[in-house]
Amino acid sequence: MLEYVRSALSIDCDAVVGYLVKRLRDYFEESGARGGVVGLSGGVDSSVVGLLLAKATPNFFFLLMPSSSTPQRDVEDAMKIVKLAGGEGKYAIIPIDEYVDALAKAAGTDDKVVVGNIKARVRMVLLYAYAQKLGYLVVGTGDKSELLLGYFTKYGDGGVDILPIGDLYKTQVRQLGRCLGVPEEIIQKPPSPALWAGQTAEGEIGVDYETIDSILYLRYEEMRSPEEVAAMLGVDRSVVDRIDSMVRRNQHKRLPPEIFRLSGRAIGSDWRYPRRYWNVKL
Amino acid sequence: MRIELAQIRPYLGDIPRNLEKHVEVVETSSADCVVFPELSLTGYVLRDLVYELYRESQKAVERLAEASGKRCVVAGTLREVRRGVIRNSAAVIIDGSVDYVYKFYLPTYGLFEERRYFQRGDPARDLKVFSYRGWSFGVMICEDAWHPEPAEALALMGADLIIVPAASPMRRLSKDLAIKDNWEALLKAHSLMNAVWTVFVNTVGSQEEEYFWGGSMVVSPLGDVRLRLKLFEEDRGVYEISEGELLRARYFSSFRDHIAEFHKVLWDLH
Repeated sequence: MLEYVRSALSIDCDAVVGYLVKRLRDYFEESGARGGVVGLSGGVDSSVVGLLLAKATPNFFFLLMPSSSTPQRDVEDAMKIVKLAGGEGKYAIIPIDEYVDALAKAAGTDDKVVVGNIKARVRMVLLYAYAQKLGYLVVGTGDKSELLLGYFTKYGDGGVDILPIGDLYKTQVRQLGRCLGVPEEIIQKPPSPALWAGQTAEGEIGVDYETIDSILYLRYEEMRSPEEVAAMLGVDRSVVDRIDSMVRRNQHKRLPPEIFRLSGRAIGSDWRYPRRYWNVKL
Repeated sequence: MRIELAQIRPYLGDIPRNLEKHVEVVETSSADCVVFPELSLTGYVLRDLVYELYRESQKAVERLAEASGKRCVVAGTLREVRRGVIRNSAAVIIDGSVDYVYKFYLPTYGLFEERRYFQRGDPARDLKVFSYRGWSFGVMICEDAWHPEPAEALALMGADLIIVPAASPMRRLSKDLAIKDNWEALLKAHSLMNAVWTVFVNTVGSQEEEYFWGGSMVVSPLGDVRLRLKLFEEDRGVYEISEGELLRARYFSSFRDHIAEFHKVLWDLH
């Protein structure tokens, strides 16, 4: 990674951990939720979120939801996080294949991408069922790199109540993971949604996360032109363009669904109450 | 002077496509002056795209000027007036040379957020009256028509015609189209109070959650709507403004009795 970007993206781990833990506690309190549930995949994002959640509250619950395309190693890695977080008695393992197969059959498809998205959405359904049962919120595990690229399933892993690490790039989440004591083999593991066998994020996107994060940071935080970013990083312009195009194409995933205006005040750009105003006396 | 109201549907952020449309309209127009809506080259609901598009938008104005020949063309564009300072602007192209008019009142209520992106025009420097084919005209952009002063100032500076490029989104469709009635009332009032022709050219079509309603119109100095374009779809229309009605309006109204002392009072009140 370019030294300039590395230094811009390096974080003060203790400060960030302290801040995110405090924000989680505040959010639970303000929303009236008792705690949070998170799905552990054995990857670095959910490991970090799981550990942050366990620091924020004793009221946490972990779901491990392996499918036939989940490597056995991922379940083992997720179990390491359960132990590290002191989560004995606060987790469940629910294999999802039978539900995925039933839904794929009902939808009449065996397309790996469609079925892969069904997997992500089945997990969302289970997370919300557990959350409601327990009076918890669903704590999402998306990081800033994935959210910007749109590298997630709409209403699958994108279907959550909060995104505590949504403003940290993947490479920053790895830094955070190291300070939280996430095992190095989890941090080093190539990121993967594991929606089908052999799928890796970097394989699908075609660039490694150090380059992705550098491009995202320089393009969207420093607002540099594509030519300049390509020159700074010594990558081909087409690589920058590909990242740009993913960010732009997936804007719809980051926004609530469009409502076609009819009235004098629609729920949209002229409806700007704070997220939490249920307890404000009017 | 024959004026064409070019009620087009701009595609948000797609400047090449919008420019192509502008050029096509200008090249096929039989009018002396072709008027496009507010931010017609870029689309209106740009949000952060403002920063990505202002340079390209200015280049598009130059291209449009090359294609305009001897005509007068008014088109909506972004313009950088100082490094990094952008204004919601109308390019006024006459005989191939370009001048700019800026929006003074930047709406920041409801769905609007213009002051987040734009600097407003300065009345002391940016009020302009242009001459073309024996007519003097001014241009004021959309929200400026919801206040009395811009039209009043342009009229006192000599305008016989006020052109209003707009991007007015549809609201309250459920009953009648209230926003259309509001606009008609405003334009009639400007025409009557200032004894000028007003030409209102609105955007049409969807941009994000909004839908722009079109309904462009020409209002005579006597307060009559003389041309109405379609609602909710692209449309073009040409109208020839006449001197006769302008004169009659001025002979038989108190338009010329401008009492400047009111402005002193207003100034002291503000």
